[in-house]
Amino acid sequence: MLAAFADPVFDSQRTFRELLQAMARPAAPRPLPVLPPAPAPVAPAAMAILLTLCDATTSVWLQQPSDEAVRHLRFHAGLRLADEPQAADFALISEPAAMPPLQRFGAGDLRYPDRSASLIVQVDGFRSGAEADRLRFAGPGLREPVALAIDGLPADFWQQRAALSARLPLGIDLFFVAAQQVLALPRTTRLLET
Amino acid sequence: MDTSPHLARAGWMSLLAQADPAELAAAMDGFAPPADAAWLRPAQTGLYMLRGRIGGSGAPFNLGEVTVTRCSVQAGGHIGHAWVRGSDPRHAELAALADAMLQDAQRHDALQAQLLAPLAAALDAKRDSASRKAAASKVEFFTVVRGE
Repeated sequence: MLAAFADPVFDSQRTFRELLQAMARPAAPRPLPVLPPAPAPVAPAAMAILLTLCDATTSVWLQQPSDEAVRHLRFHAGLRLADEPQAADFALISEPAAMPPLQRFGAGDLRYPDRSASLIVQVDGFRSGAEADRLRFAGPGLREPVALAIDGLPADFWQQRAALSARLPLGIDLFFVAAQQVLALPRTTRLLET
Repeated sequence: MDTSPHLARAGWMSLLAQADPAELAAAMDGFAPPADAAWLRPAQTGLYMLRGRIGGSGAPFNLGEVTVTRCSVQAGGHIGHAWVRGSDPRHAELAALADAMLQDAQRHDALQAQLLAPLAAALDAKRDSASRKAAASKVEFFTVVRGE
């Protein structure tokens, strides 16, 4: 088994601060301050998020629950594992190409829209700039539309998300991680038609 | 002596946790930790709520909080855990290391003889002396008629 954060209290507080900032300023990649060791198929950046946000009161669905990853997370975070995506508060998507449709995750209910799932998706990378293949995002926290491409997502991912965004305030919040970077897309960030 | 491996391990973990930190450190001096020892969870101190069945109805009752230091180490292919009352990180580290080494069949017998046996004897002596002191202070009230 591997170790987790070297300094559990301060490392998770620093990571939490970055995640908060990432949600407040969506669609901008930010480096995470601490990368703990992580067993395959979990990326170190995804492990930092799980160790920061999850504990015995949250349920987590793993797309690829390898024995070692399950033992590691149970020991260090004490979290509960969910059998079904629908029941999970957090979900770790380690292979986005084979991920279940977004509709299968909990989007909250109208009286408690906060009881929805947050997804941590391990993608290949982010590309910003104004080239032709970029998607444009707008919404709270963005002064003007931002152009961005996220590599490694399934082809119909953005259609699934657009279908969900019609159901605001219900929805799913997304964290994308690639190498040391994290990028957040809360449910309020809209994908603009090009 | 119980032969079940889980109960045996529970027995030595309990003994290591109750041992005097100075005696444990002295006894562990003779045993070098395996070269690959790595801390899975560094010693951390926190509070545990002690619950007991105090009331006559047997319902659980929060007795109070106790300071506990816990630690986990991976050494020689085994994982050692320790939960120790108090806030002495060195005690928890030594107990976790000893737990990991005791699971190693090659080291077990030497540790059993040179670490666990003296600690058990010291603990027994401490308990014996405490109960003797208590017994010596027992007062019989001859003037009070009991149980009538």
